[in-house]
Amino acid sequence: MTNQEVSSLNRKGASKWGTLTGRSARVAVALLPLLVFMGIFFFAPLTAVIWDSFQSNDGLFTLQNYADVFKEPIATAMRTSLGLALASAVVSAIPGAVLAFLIESRGSDRLRQLISSVAGVLANTGGVPLAFMFVAALGAAGSATGLFKLLGLDIYTAGFSLYTFWGLVLVYSYFQIPLMVIVFSPAIHGLRREWNEAAKTLGATGSQFWRHIGVPLLFPSFTSAFLLLFASAFSAYATARAMTNGTIALLPLMIGNLLDGNVIFDEVNLAKALAVAMVVVTLLAMVPYLIIQRRAERWQR
Amino acid sequence: MKIFTRRQLPLTIGLFLATLFVLFPLVSATEFSLRQPATSNYGFANYIWFFTAEDFGKYLGISLGLAVVSAIILLVILVPTVIWLNLGGARFRGLVEFVSLLPLVIPVVALAIGAQTALPDFAQTDEIILGFMFAVLAMPYAYRTLDTGLRAIPLQTIVEAARGLGANWLHTIFRVVIPVVRSTVASALFMTLALSLGEYTLTSLLHWDTFTTWVTTMSQSNILGAIALSMFSLIAVFGLLLIISIFIRPTKSNVVAEEN
Repeated sequence: MTNQEVSSLNRKGASKWGTLTGRSARVAVALLPLLVFMGIFFFAPLTAVIWDSFQSNDGLFTLQNYADVFKEPIATAMRTSLGLALASAVVSAIPGAVLAFLIESRGSDRLRQLISSVAGVLANTGGVPLAFMFVAALGAAGSATGLFKLLGLDIYTAGFSLYTFWGLVLVYSYFQIPLMVIVFSPAIHGLRREWNEAAKTLGATGSQFWRHIGVPLLFPSFTSAFLLLFASAFSAYATARAMTNGTIALLPLMIGNLLDGNVIFDEVNLAKALAVAMVVVTLLAMVPYLIIQRRAERWQR
Repeated sequence: MKIFTRRQLPLTIGLFLATLFVLFPLVSATEFSLRQPATSNYGFANYIWFFTAEDFGKYLGISLGLAVVSAIILLVILVPTVIWLNLGGARFRGLVEFVSLLPLVIPVVALAIGAQTALPDFAQTDEIILGFMFAVLAMPYAYRTLDTGLRAIPLQTIVEAARGLGANWLHTIFRVVIPVVRSTVASALFMTLALSLGEYTLTSLLHWDTFTTWVTTMSQSNILGAIALSMFSLIAVFGLLLIISIFIRPTKSNVVAEEN
């Protein structure tokens, strides 16, 4: 019996449901606190950002704020942010997927549980402590940098720097690779051994199995995980801010600089248009992610 | 030995590289944080420095306070709603899911700008507002954890039993349902605490001072101290999150056994 059926049975024996103040009263009591809270602290701020982004300095309707997104230096920040998100997703998704595949296909149950705990912890690291950890390790005076120097390799004269685009990609991969392992593992786990056996029985070679069954089944999950990594790198603020002090041209840092008055533009509502642009990009990545995840859950059990 | 079979070799190499990748920055940063330039040897001077720093207790206190505020808000709002969703309110699951998962898709920077302009006045004058905003940020995680936990137990039966024995609704929720899913509630709580303690984006964009912003401010005068502090908070958060993952497991595998 499903929940619904059970509860409709219960309603006939009304005493179990206590004082019948009415169904709508229960709905209100259960839903109102959540809706009111999110309304005030989430939806109202979000609506305000969208509304203001269409306002000129004089409070008239305008699209000028959005036109500015394509002007320098904002266009560069937008390009760099998109590039960083793409690079970070590529650099982290591939090793993450390989690792997830090795662990799921060859690891013991205990190993899989251990990895899922550790990956869960690492995927949630981020922000200021992560940035400082990498500064201490691979900054110009960092201890790993020093170790490489002892081994005869001066990575900073060789062109490496932590405070650049690729430095950020490296730092982000510290939480992105574990995130990939978490999101992609269920898909590999869902590939049933019987499917492989069935294909083999029907005469398929290993490569045929992967070409016609394995990869087509995993591809949607890989894409959706990739999109999640993209969105997470695109909207990351704290790590980049703490590490580069806002000097690298990224969209979130640009918004922060506008808010703090470090950068001045003619339009007071420009930061809001940039924020809406960020929301749009994140939604474009996250909505397909959520849809694919939901569909994949059907066969991943 | 099993690990030396041909099949296991790629896994062993993969795990070795992954371990190296995780430990390398961690170990080198720990080495860095133990440096004592004044005497050019190793020791705990940087750690002792921040522990005795005047502001350490103050900012840690603020952050802990905000974390507790956000955890309480989430529990009060979400626990009854999710229980109800799993009893008779399944019709509204779509709406509740949409509302509580949406913060996951909106960049925090965008929310911060909105919070600056659109929050009620009382919220602009006191840092307690951060506790409310952290609750918004933690909402998706807390919702998912609570919903998974409550789906895994025979909630209907438990509630009927309690009600049948004459317990009122408050009693049923606090004395029966919550104790049954206490590991779920605890992990939602710890998750919120961990998130709130490490939050930086909203805090700095709204110009409040908490533990995390103090670390960045301090790094400009004492980078070694800031790094020691970062290592300390990384390890503290690792600990918190590991506790969560230990907590979560029994609920998933066997609820009844846990309830002895």
